[in-house]
Amino acid sequence: MMLKPNWFLILLILLLALLPLSESRFYIFLGTDILIMGLFAVSLNLLLGYTGLVSFGQAAYFGIGAYTCALLMKKAAVVFPVAFVAAAFMGMIGALIIGFFCIRLTKIYFSMLTLAFSQIVWAIVFKWNSLTGGDTGLIGINFPKYLDSSTRFYYFTLAVVVISFYFLRKVVDSPFGRILATIRENPERTEFIGINVKRFQLIAFMVSGFFAGISGALFGIFNHSLFPDLLYWPMSAEVLIMSILGGMYSFFGPVVGAAVILYLRMLVTSYTQYWPLIMGTILALLLFFFPGGIVGFLKSQRPFAGGKR
Amino acid sequence: MRRSVMLWMVLGFAAIGFLFPQVADAQKKPILVGFPMFLTGGGALFGQPAKVGAEMAVKEINEKGGVLGRPIELLIRDCKGTPDEATRVARELIAKENVQFLVGGLTAAQGLALSEVAKTEKTLYIAPISKTTAMTDPDKLHPYVFRAAANTNTEGRSAAVFMAKNPWKKIYTIGPDYEYGQMVTKAFIEWIKKIKPEVEVVGQGWPKLGEPDFTPFITAALAKKPDAAFFSLWGGDFVNFAKQARPYGFFEKVKVVSAGEAGSPETAIALKDDLPLGITTNAYDLFYYPDTPEHKAYVGRLKAYTKQEYAPSWAITGYISVQFLAEAIKKAKSTDTMKVVKALEGLTINTPIGKQTMRAKDHQANRGQFWGTTAKVPEYPFPILRPVEYIPADNLMD
Amino acid sequence: MNLPDPSFLIIQSLSGLTYAMFLFLIASGLSLIFGILRVLNFAHGSLYMVGAYLTYSFVSLFINAPGQFWWAVISASLAVALIGGFIERFFLSRLYIREELSQLLFTYALVLIIGDFAKVIWGTGQLSISRPPILKGAVQIFGQYFPEYNIFIILLGLGIAFLFWLILNRTRWGRVIRAAALDREMLGSLGINVSWLFTLVFIIGAWLAGLGGALVAPIAAIVPGMDVEIIINVFIVVVIGGLGSFWGTLLGALVLGQVISFGILILPRLAIVFIYVLMAVVLIIRPWGLLGKPLQR
Repeated sequence: MMLKPNWFLILLILLLALLPLSESRFYIFLGTDILIMGLFAVSLNLLLGYTGLVSFGQAAYFGIGAYTCALLMKKAAVVFPVAFVAAAFMGMIGALIIGFFCIRLTKIYFSMLTLAFSQIVWAIVFKWNSLTGGDTGLIGINFPKYLDSSTRFYYFTLAVVVISFYFLRKVVDSPFGRILATIRENPERTEFIGINVKRFQLIAFMVSGFFAGISGALFGIFNHSLFPDLLYWPMSAEVLIMSILGGMYSFFGPVVGAAVILYLRMLVTSYTQYWPLIMGTILALLLFFFPGGIVGFLKSQRPFAGGKR
Repeated sequence: MRRSVMLWMVLGFAAIGFLFPQVADAQKKPILVGFPMFLTGGGALFGQPAKVGAEMAVKEINEKGGVLGRPIELLIRDCKGTPDEATRVARELIAKENVQFLVGGLTAAQGLALSEVAKTEKTLYIAPISKTTAMTDPDKLHPYVFRAAANTNTEGRSAAVFMAKNPWKKIYTIGPDYEYGQMVTKAFIEWIKKIKPEVEVVGQGWPKLGEPDFTPFITAALAKKPDAAFFSLWGGDFVNFAKQARPYGFFEKVKVVSAGEAGSPETAIALKDDLPLGITTNAYDLFYYPDTPEHKAYVGRLKAYTKQEYAPSWAITGYISVQFLAEAIKKAKSTDTMKVVKALEGLTINTPIGKQTMRAKDHQANRGQFWGTTAKVPEYPFPILRPVEYIPADNLMD
Repeated sequence: MNLPDPSFLIIQSLSGLTYAMFLFLIASGLSLIFGILRVLNFAHGSLYMVGAYLTYSFVSLFINAPGQFWWAVISASLAVALIGGFIERFFLSRLYIREELSQLLFTYALVLIIGDFAKVIWGTGQLSISRPPILKGAVQIFGQYFPEYNIFIILLGLGIAFLFWLILNRTRWGRVIRAAALDREMLGSLGINVSWLFTLVFIIGAWLAGLGGALVAPIAAIVPGMDVEIIINVFIVVVIGGLGSFWGTLLGALVLGQVISFGILILPRLAIVFIYVLMAVVLIIRPWGLLGKPLQR
């Protein structure tokens, strides 16, 4: 890693840490939201950008994590730390099960199966009224005891997200991560050099599901309520767009994408109801003119060669 | 450009972006009221007029000098039909736009979701439409939530009373499979079993809210050969069902008592000739009834404000909610939330349809509805409710 | 539960058949586009929706003209076909050199854009039109009523299926299209303008979707969200039947139509889970669908 980006990162973290001083509850909300969705998007990107698996069903692990944490806390009176960890593990297990079936397929069939499974999870949550509250949702999820203000929760989220990013970064930069990149480039050839592609893909799924579960758990508590909508496929589409908008070939790209989308959505929806139109247009422009996303575009502006991936 | 310069620029923009709101200086004068409403989709049939009613109430109040010398400002947002969106929109309204009060939500699920937001944000919330009794149940009730609408008990039980007047024995129920449909059907069944135990529920249909294709439900219901059916389909769902059921001769074979305000002129205008005749249903307001001077004046103003020939009936839901809020602030002589809450409890106001009181014990207004049978009349190009009467809520609420 | 009488079962399956025909119309367009262009068009549901909205507009336009409904249907479906052609020619074709994900995401962007355009033009509420006068009634089948309009849809759907089979198997153009599904590169070297062929295929696919929307207008709600609603069921149809397979699409539509129709009776609250489970099961056991061919890539 080069020296300058380190500074940039540190400064960014400092800035984020100072955010609550702005006295604006709304910006604390927005900041928490961006951090959570950023983590969610980066977890997807582990599959999308790094392993080349176009998963349309990421919302499933997000939702599993969210509902696990909330249900354990609300119905089983489990303390937050345990519920939180359980959520991450359930996300991972969900990804393991779903991934096991999906990796046997390729390309469009893979994507469709991830979509199908994600819809199954949605349908179960939607219909299992007695457990999940179904359509009406799970309402009244309280902040855990020591995090009972938006500021404290923001700091907690910041900490969790920064630590998660640290781990994910390590994963991506490790030999494991490099093999994933090789798999993305050419799965058959990777198989030929003796690597069990399926096993690596499955592990990638599990890691991705783990962190998606964490972001889901945070989301549930942050919003104090959960609705099955967050498992419906447009949510998976949205996080996919965030990753691509930010740049799926970079680590922090998806976070940038999440920040841009959430900020824009907040601005646009106060003036007009036609946010989908704006988002669709941005996506289209992106696809035509900026295939590398925002970060990709920024990177291409520098005159020096050499890839920081 | 050097990459580092680019990155610093991005950082700079981000910093400016965050500082931006500090620049906007808030005019503290208007009283800000957030109004999330179902404005797009099948519920817009009811949500749009509700919004209009609220707007008209605000306009009238401001023309008279506002409340405590300050104008009310309504911040309207489309929360569509999901509680998810309602939550998001409400939190933005509170945290970003600094609204002091919330009025809105249409579906039962939205009512519950907004109630939760009101609780955590300690903001006063008046539900103009959401009917589920769950909102005012002892375990869910908190100081900040109030309901100006009728509730599922009132509605379900009124329907049961009408149903029981007739000799029908085998009953089928069709309702949207979500909080409202489930609660009102439950209330109906419990009450009718209580007042007429020989009635038998031969089957239940549970299409989802916003179901595009009712045909399997229509045929399934007809197969059970019921004498009558209790409906809780509303808005767009009722319109679709009626249209799709017509060629099956559904309404001739099965007598229908319908909750869900199918008697609203909005529904009749949307369906025209496809509106089934001879069904018993309800509405929140009717431009042709009651004949009191206050009501006629209100209808006149509404007609002028909306420039519509037939004043919408759902406007009254928004109208009365704003009335409750404004009167409570006046009585409290302050916009401090807890003071307004205390003032609202037990408050009686004069609405265009008569006096309404917000009960202190469960934050529920004693809101009744108009029930009648659909019939074709020479005066209007669409069927209306005739005969029609106002069923008060007092004996039907717990 | 006691066995319902047979007339009811017949009516219920006819309802399922009606819905299946709509699914078939839209899914065959989707399948055709996927088979030749290798693009999974998310926006197919949006084209369907535009077809319905346009029919509403044309019906209002042709007021009091004889056969106004039929003119509206024809105009609306053709208009949608043209819109499809426009999209393909000027936008989608530029993405062919990119990876599939870009094309897929572009069609999703279209879903968002077209969806909001529809709101701008036709408003946010629900619209409806009436059935055409000659099909307003119902026929008696074994003592139960069944709408004439639905019978018409069933017959039309089967008619179109037969027509397409004829075209695909008995005409030159049909052969060209089938060849394009198998091997695009070869086609170019045979002197066929592949780029215009793609546009033509997209136009036909769009026409089918628009036709589906136009025909559904009198019996369903024309409302924002109907695009998203239908596309997921269409996906299930093509997955079950086999992406790119004509008979598979018909079979998939028939199967899903009946599953939905009877599902709400047998497992009322769980029907919705079941259809996705069905989709997943087919993908796991036979990813190329019941009648599809394994993807050679």
